[in-house]
Amino acid sequence: MTYQWDWSALWDNLPLLLDGISTTVVATAASMAASLILGLPVALLRLSRPAVSWLATVYIELFRNLPLLVLVFWVFTALPLIIGYTFSPLASGIIALSLNLTAFIAEIYRAGITSIAPGQSHAALALGMTRVQLYKRIILPQAVVRVLPALGSMWVSLFKDTSILAVIGVAELMYQGRMVATDTYRPLEIFTGVAIIYYLLAYPQALGVNWLYHRLQVQE
Amino acid sequence: MTPAFADVLLRVEGLHKTYGSAPVLRGIDLTVQRGEVVVMVGPSGSGKSSFLRCLNRLEEPSAGHIYIDGIDIAAPGVKLPLIRRNIGMVFQHFNLFPHMTALGNVAEGPRTVLRMSRAEAEKRALDLLGKVGLSDKIHARPALLSGGQQQRVAIARALAMQPEIMLFDEVTSALDPELVAGVLGVMRKLAEEGMTMIVVTHEMEFARQVGDRIDMLEHGAIVEEGKPNDILRSPRHASTQRFLSSLLKERAT
Repeated sequence: MTYQWDWSALWDNLPLLLDGISTTVVATAASMAASLILGLPVALLRLSRPAVSWLATVYIELFRNLPLLVLVFWVFTALPLIIGYTFSPLASGIIALSLNLTAFIAEIYRAGITSIAPGQSHAALALGMTRVQLYKRIILPQAVVRVLPALGSMWVSLFKDTSILAVIGVAELMYQGRMVATDTYRPLEIFTGVAIIYYLLAYPQALGVNWLYHRLQVQE
Repeated sequence: MTPAFADVLLRVEGLHKTYGSAPVLRGIDLTVQRGEVVVMVGPSGSGKSSFLRCLNRLEEPSAGHIYIDGIDIAAPGVKLPLIRRNIGMVFQHFNLFPHMTALGNVAEGPRTVLRMSRAEAEKRALDLLGKVGLSDKIHARPALLSGGQQQRVAIARALAMQPEIMLFDEVTSALDPELVAGVLGVMRKLAEEGMTMIVVTHEMEFARQVGDRIDMLEHGAIVEEGKPNDILRSPRHASTQRFLSSLLKERAT
C-alpha cells in the first residue's frame, strides 16, 4: 500500500501556518536585538584586565556549550522557581535564545575588535584620545563593518533555531505546524510545507549575507 | 649651543625600561631645548623606538623622570590624554585611520580631543594638508594614497593638535626611496619654523642638514652625543664608527 498524499490539508491550514511566521520573526528580531546590545559589554569585558575578564570567559564558555534545547527548557521551567517570576513562553524563549546568542556575538565582536591594527590605537592615544574615545571613534566603527557578515550568518541560524521554541509552546511556525498536523492527521504534508516555508524564508536571507560578504570585501 | 635655545622643553632623567628581565633602556638622560632638533641613531634593537614611546607613555617607563615644561609626566597619577595632546607622534607605518578621509584623519584630533566644531577642525585640517602639499587629496581615503602621502597626512594629523614637541619614529623607513624626499622636506620645513623635534632615523644627510645634535644609542644607553658634523665626520666611540660604516655599506649595495 502506498501513501496517498493529500495536500489539501496544507492549503486549508496555510493561514494558521503563516500566522506562526510573525511569532518566528518577533522571536528572531527580539533575540538578535538583545544579543547585539548585550554582546558588546561582554566582549569589552573579555578584552579587559584578567582580574575581570574571566567573568566574560565563564559566561561565554557556559552558554556556548549548553545545548540550546536544554537552555530553553531550563529558562522556561527552572528559572521561574529561582527568581519567583514566570515569563510567557515567548519571553522565556527570547531570554534563552539571547543568553546563547550573546555568547557567540560577544566572540564575533571580540574578533572584530582585535582585528583592528594596534597601530591605530597607538595613533589615537598619541593624539590624546581617552579609551572611550578610541573605541567610539576608531575601533568600533571599523570593527562593526568587519563583523557585519558574521552577524548576518548568526541572524540566519537564529531564524531557524527559533523552531526549538515550539517545545515550550511558543506559537511560532513550527508549533503551528505541529498543531495543524495533529488536527489533520497529515504530518507528512504539513511538515513538508513547514520545511518549504522555512527554506523560502531563510534562503533569501542567506543570499543577503553572501551579498554583504562580497560587498564589504571589495571595500577593504 | 646658540642663544636661540633659551629654555628647556624636555628633560629626561635616568629613564629605564625593562621587558620582563630584559633591559631595553638603561638610564637615559637627555635635555632638549625649545626649538631644538635632536636626531637619534643607533642599530636596530638599541632602544630608540622604545625611548620615543616612553616619552608619551605609549610604553610605561620602568624608572626615571620625564619633565615636559617642568612637569614630570612619568609620575603616577598623570592624566595621560592631557599630556599626550602636547606631544605629536609620527609612526613608521603611518597608522592612519582607514575609515576616514585625509581631511577626517587630520580633523579627528581637534574634533574629538579638543572638542572643536566640525567647521573649525576642518579649517585647521585644510591649512595643514595644504602645508604638507596635499590640498588635492583631502577627500582621499588612506588606501588610495601613496606611502609618502600617507606619512605627510600623518604628520599633519599630529600637527593639528598644535603640540610643543614632535616625535618621529623612523618615519621614512617604510617608504619607497623616491617618496622619502617629500616627507623629509616637510620635516625640514617644520624644523625651520622652530618646532622642537626628536627624530629617530637612518637618514644621515637629513641629520647633518637639519639636526642640531645627534645622539647615538646602543644597548639602551646614549654612547655618544654631539653636533651632527662632528659625529658624522669623526665619531669617537667605536660603536658609532661601526654603525656609520654599516650604513655606508648598505647605501653602496
